[in-house]
Amino acid sequence: MSTAQSTTNQVPSSLARSLSGLWSGLKELAELIWSSPTAVIGLTIVLAWVFVAIFAPVISAHTPLEQDYKNVNKGPSPTHILGTDQLGRDVWARVAFGARTILSLGPISVFVAFLVGLALGLPAGYYRGWVDEVVMRVLDSLMAFPTILLYMIIISALGASPINVVIAIAIGGAPGIARLVRALTMDIRTREYVAAAKLRGDNDLIIMLREILPNCRGPLIVDFLLRIGYAAFYIGTLGFLGLGLPPPTPDWGGMVQEGHSRMTANIWPVLSATLAIVTLVIGLNLFADGVREESMRYQ
Amino acid sequence: MARYIVRRLMTMLLTMVIVSMLVFAIVEIAPGNVARNILGAYATPEQEASMSMQLGLTRPVAIRYISWLCGSDWQASPEINLPLTETVSKQGLVEKSQQWWAIKPNGDLAQWEMKDGQMYAFIRQPDGTTLEVLDDNVWKVDASGQEYFWGVDTGNRAAKWIRGQGGVEYQLDYSGWVQKNDAPAEYIPLNKGLLRGEAGMSLRYNTPVADVIQRRILNSVILASLAMLFSIPIAVALGLLAGLNEGKLVDRLISMGGLITAGSPDFATGILLIMVFALWLKLLPGAAVFTSENAVLKDPHLLILPVLTASLVEIGYILRITRSSVVEVMNSAYVRTAILKGLSYQQVVMRHVLRNAMMAPITVIMLHINWFIGGLVVVESVFGYPGLGNFILNAALYKDVYSIEAGAMVLIVLAVGTQLVADVIYSLINPRIRYS
Amino acid sequence: MDESPILSVKNLAVSYKTRKGEVDAVRDVTFDIQRGENLGLVGESGCGKSTAAYSLVNFLGPNGHITRGEVLFKGESLRGRSESDLRKLRGADISMVYQEPMSALNPSMRIQDQLAESLITHRGVGKKNAYAESLEALKKVYMPDAEGVMTRYPHQLSGGQQQRVVIAMAMLNNPSLLIMDEPTTALDVTVEAAVLDLIAELQRKYNTAALYISHNLGVVARVSDKVAVMYAGEIVELASTREIFHNPMHPYTMGLMRCLPDVDAPKGTRTLYPIPGRVPSPANLPHGCIFAPRCEQVRGECTVDHPSLIEMEPGHQVRCLRRPQDWQEVRRLWSISAETSLNLATGPEREKPAPETVLNLEAAKVYYPVPFETIGGLFGLEKRRFVRAADEVSFSVQRGRTLGIVGESGCGKSTVAKAIVGLEPLHQGKIDFLNVDISHPLHKRGIESIRELQMVFQDPNGVLNPSYTIGEQIAFSLRRFHTVPPHQVRAEVERLLHAVKLDESYYNRLPRQLSGGEKQRVGIARAISTNPAMIVCDEPVSALDVSVQAAVLNLLLEIQNTQNTTMILISHDLSSVRFFSDEVAVMYLGRIVEIGPCEAIYAPPNHPYTTALLAAVPRPDPEAPASTVRLGGRVPSAVNPPSGCRFHTRCPFKIGAICEQEEPACLDLGHGHRIYCHLTPDKLIH
Repeated sequence: MSTAQSTTNQVPSSLARSLSGLWSGLKELAELIWSSPTAVIGLTIVLAWVFVAIFAPVISAHTPLEQDYKNVNKGPSPTHILGTDQLGRDVWARVAFGARTILSLGPISVFVAFLVGLALGLPAGYYRGWVDEVVMRVLDSLMAFPTILLYMIIISALGASPINVVIAIAIGGAPGIARLVRALTMDIRTREYVAAAKLRGDNDLIIMLREILPNCRGPLIVDFLLRIGYAAFYIGTLGFLGLGLPPPTPDWGGMVQEGHSRMTANIWPVLSATLAIVTLVIGLNLFADGVREESMRYQ
Repeated sequence: MARYIVRRLMTMLLTMVIVSMLVFAIVEIAPGNVARNILGAYATPEQEASMSMQLGLTRPVAIRYISWLCGSDWQASPEINLPLTETVSKQGLVEKSQQWWAIKPNGDLAQWEMKDGQMYAFIRQPDGTTLEVLDDNVWKVDASGQEYFWGVDTGNRAAKWIRGQGGVEYQLDYSGWVQKNDAPAEYIPLNKGLLRGEAGMSLRYNTPVADVIQRRILNSVILASLAMLFSIPIAVALGLLAGLNEGKLVDRLISMGGLITAGSPDFATGILLIMVFALWLKLLPGAAVFTSENAVLKDPHLLILPVLTASLVEIGYILRITRSSVVEVMNSAYVRTAILKGLSYQQVVMRHVLRNAMMAPITVIMLHINWFIGGLVVVESVFGYPGLGNFILNAALYKDVYSIEAGAMVLIVLAVGTQLVADVIYSLINPRIRYS
Repeated sequence: MDESPILSVKNLAVSYKTRKGEVDAVRDVTFDIQRGENLGLVGESGCGKSTAAYSLVNFLGPNGHITRGEVLFKGESLRGRSESDLRKLRGADISMVYQEPMSALNPSMRIQDQLAESLITHRGVGKKNAYAESLEALKKVYMPDAEGVMTRYPHQLSGGQQQRVVIAMAMLNNPSLLIMDEPTTALDVTVEAAVLDLIAELQRKYNTAALYISHNLGVVARVSDKVAVMYAGEIVELASTREIFHNPMHPYTMGLMRCLPDVDAPKGTRTLYPIPGRVPSPANLPHGCIFAPRCEQVRGECTVDHPSLIEMEPGHQVRCLRRPQDWQEVRRLWSISAETSLNLATGPEREKPAPETVLNLEAAKVYYPVPFETIGGLFGLEKRRFVRAADEVSFSVQRGRTLGIVGESGCGKSTVAKAIVGLEPLHQGKIDFLNVDISHPLHKRGIESIRELQMVFQDPNGVLNPSYTIGEQIAFSLRRFHTVPPHQVRAEVERLLHAVKLDESYYNRLPRQLSGGEKQRVGIARAISTNPAMIVCDEPVSALDVSVQAAVLNLLLEIQNTQNTTMILISHDLSSVRFFSDEVAVMYLGRIVEIGPCEAIYAPPNHPYTTALLAAVPRPDPEAPASTVRLGGRVPSAVNPPSGCRFHTRCPFKIGAICEQEEPACLDLGHGHRIYCHLTPDKLIH
């Protein structure tokens, strides 16, 4: 039996094993969260926003786009619980639907960033040598960019759209992830079970996917959670800078951007959107931080 | 140690080269066409093609990159067979104009233009005006017998005219499109390049980018240094306090506060501060309305909220790093040695904990400088502060490509430079590097 | 002369707060230390030795505290003293020496300042005088280049030098009591020997009392006057060193001795008796005698009554329900069973078929490139330099035999092992395995060569992938090599688990649920699953507790005897190498300095380095003659190995210039015994 043939048999099964490893990782994670009050508080805040996002059409009486010309720039009232903005749109509806934007784009962009980061970090850490050298130089250069600057020039070159926001955040996040994966890989590849896998003639791809990747999961899950917080942070910031989703899409950062010059006249759209982003990002941070601390104590 | 620093310096140079390629690639090569960005959506394909030619966008990417970085005059000069020079003159209050000239053997500065198939030269006079003269015996003949002439045109480009084959050139003027005949067949836009201090003309301000950017850099540096000076001591002190009291109430309060300030987006912090201090307490102005870009230091109270906003995020971050570093050192074996040596708590902290606990934060703070600079962009935008970040943001929104590129490169040089400084400081305080 | 003890500990108990509540880590510990006396505290890891020691100076961290008992230092109680009182004692009258000298020293402070601050704090000495005194202290511990060391930082010193600094620091204020927590465990054996000599000399000279904590019986036999054996938080036996080693009365103490390989006993002349089970965690102590679950002589009463420490013979305290006379019968039975099991272990005198060479190395070199230090290096301007991890290594191994490779850390023994199995590429030279050239890296080797050549690893925690169950990991190998048809994989895994004395319930366990010894067994099961002709064992027992080491060594020996497997044993421990090897190679700085039949290596004539290694081995016998051959200096860099004989910089028998200039030729003493030295054979008998 040739090596190549047995390799093709093993890749799907090793992927399945990686996934089952992920599942047991998630179970561990659930236990871990429960033992950290910080994480529980963070998760509660985040889940509250997830609830708002999912049930946005149910819990708001208006759509985020309908304009009430008779009630422009009004404070809270029974019909508009958080008031209206400069176009007479319901602020609460925009906040609720805005939660959908940020809660979907955030995880998606982090996920894309992880795929890129894994694809670069695993081989760099495993092979070292010139592969590592080339990958690292490019990643270092990307990391030399102040993050916001990188986003600004990417969005200004590509144009503002949900996909481009995802691309920008993925490009911005991938180098950090790749570095983390590389460091973990460099550590794990010296473990003796990796040597044992080599001594049964497993090829590099199998070793990376079956022996190394599953054992990176702890730090990677923590990093994933932290990065969702960053992603929300940056999606909000991009919106505020006018580089986020094009209007009239409901977007928290965009709401602050549109309203902040009129704050003296009508504080409600800005205040609501600001508090929304702050609570969400802090919730995500508390959650990730709680998990991180608890997992460190676990060791 | 010298070797260590030299090695860092080399890696950074390499990083800068790659960064410049990335900036150039993203801004100029990536899907969006620069010409279309400048022209907007309503140009005809001919107009766009002509504009691309004039901007040199049809030239090979590698040559464009080199021209952008190191200039193109030295590439054009051999074609023209004359040395080239650049003059700068003021036009109005802010706007300036740059003019490229060929230096004729007799010392005259000249530009050319083809009219009705004949070549006219514009000779620069001492008072800055030009004198138009017929200059039709400049034509050379190439291998195929075609008559051509390389010279400098009136739009700061080296241009190749072919006799009898004048093309059509579209130029965008204040009034709209101007169509010109007898246009050159090939262009090399002339500039000195970023490395020689010339970053091209700002499409938005119609003035050299370098001029606009200088003042902005200074303003940003003022804001950044004030924020750093304010935040680092406070953050380190709080981090120490928390770390030395690990697990106690003080620690929890400080850590939680740090997490909240570090986690909140800068713009949200800024907006909330404006709401509290400007709208509610009415203590401070809500936006930094500067009468001129040079007024930053004349109205220091305008700086308070921007500095505070930039600091809060930074304080949260640094204090958390400091805290975890202190906790780690406090649990180390050598602190145990120090305690069992019979030293008092103060002695242990002052002599054994502080220095070792400060090493991690110094590198991390400096690695964090990128983040901090990114935060400045946002803070400047919240308060309308006339800094570099705001400049780049507006350039990005207006697609002012040369401004984006120059601004981005300056920011990155600042970021990378600070990291080098951090490396040097780190190697100075860490004997493991100093003595290896 | 004052006859009252310096330290007197009575019924000491220490407990820790954990998530599951209070846990008694140390219970009912009682001992005295007289002036100038050295008390050894021995036991396996997790027995509470360090906790007991740190409780003496009341340094137990935020979660620990003394719950009962009394600690009297010079007749005064140390319990409940204020921090400032304790501070006056710490580092002055009671000082400590730690296990990891590197982490015990402040990395960003010069040695002189770390030394001087102790003097300044306790005696208010001026800085200048403090430096002078510190320098004196360094000279007292025979620090080479003491002046130079004063201004250095810890990372610029070798491990042995760092430990000398820590000892000098402890001796600065002439303490009455020195507490030493495994001070030589992190050191190489020749360095350890020198540090032990130093400790013994200092104690004698300054009449300092000492508490010496170690897991190594041989070390304690060398330095201690009295030994206390600790098990699971209690002292189970306390007597003079001579008594403990010649007349042990607690089954745990006996077990510790019976499981040790003896550096003076050849292969097949001694059986090791591992202690079954593991030390219980303080949270789940058994009823009755805490050792009962592991005791082979357990009786009904042992699980009911908790024995107390009683004086069985004058000066000999034991915590056991049996009495001395009971043990005489047990010992008689043991000696009979030892002989029979020895016969079983060696088997009916193995027939020696015509020797068949399984593995042959010819001038194998493993070099690692040193990273370029300048940018010019990338463009070929800098000369490539190499770490010569293994240089010109040649040997061959016959079927069914074991080659032991010994040497200190950094000598290249592990590198040779990795090169053989293909984990490190060969720079030059040739490796033949089963008459196939396997000089190329692993991915170019044939699958058969890979299958036939397996490895057992060192670190039990790294041996198994934490993400998969035990069964899956063994099954990976079986599937890869198609050892058995797919539907029989599970049955085969279970068979292998039985072969390494584990049962099938381990199939679904994750590595973190296993103890170190069990993990190591799984690693062995994985290695034998492919039916290899040869197994390379890289320090297979060095990370395990002594009681477990024996079980693993026995297992490997059994595998060799039943399957005629050829083995290579890499180890720094000369005793286990002797227990297990037929041939031995001694390596120093990448080279083999001596190779030959095991018996020839363990008796003169020897290479000077082998002599020093053998002299350094701590023997668990207080009457073993102490050899005086000691090595000085530090191991040179393998990037620039010394010219001529690589050992000449540290050789105690250096002749002269010839050692520095010429590489020694091979001195063939017959029977495959070869020594690489310039000395003549008669001079090699030291």
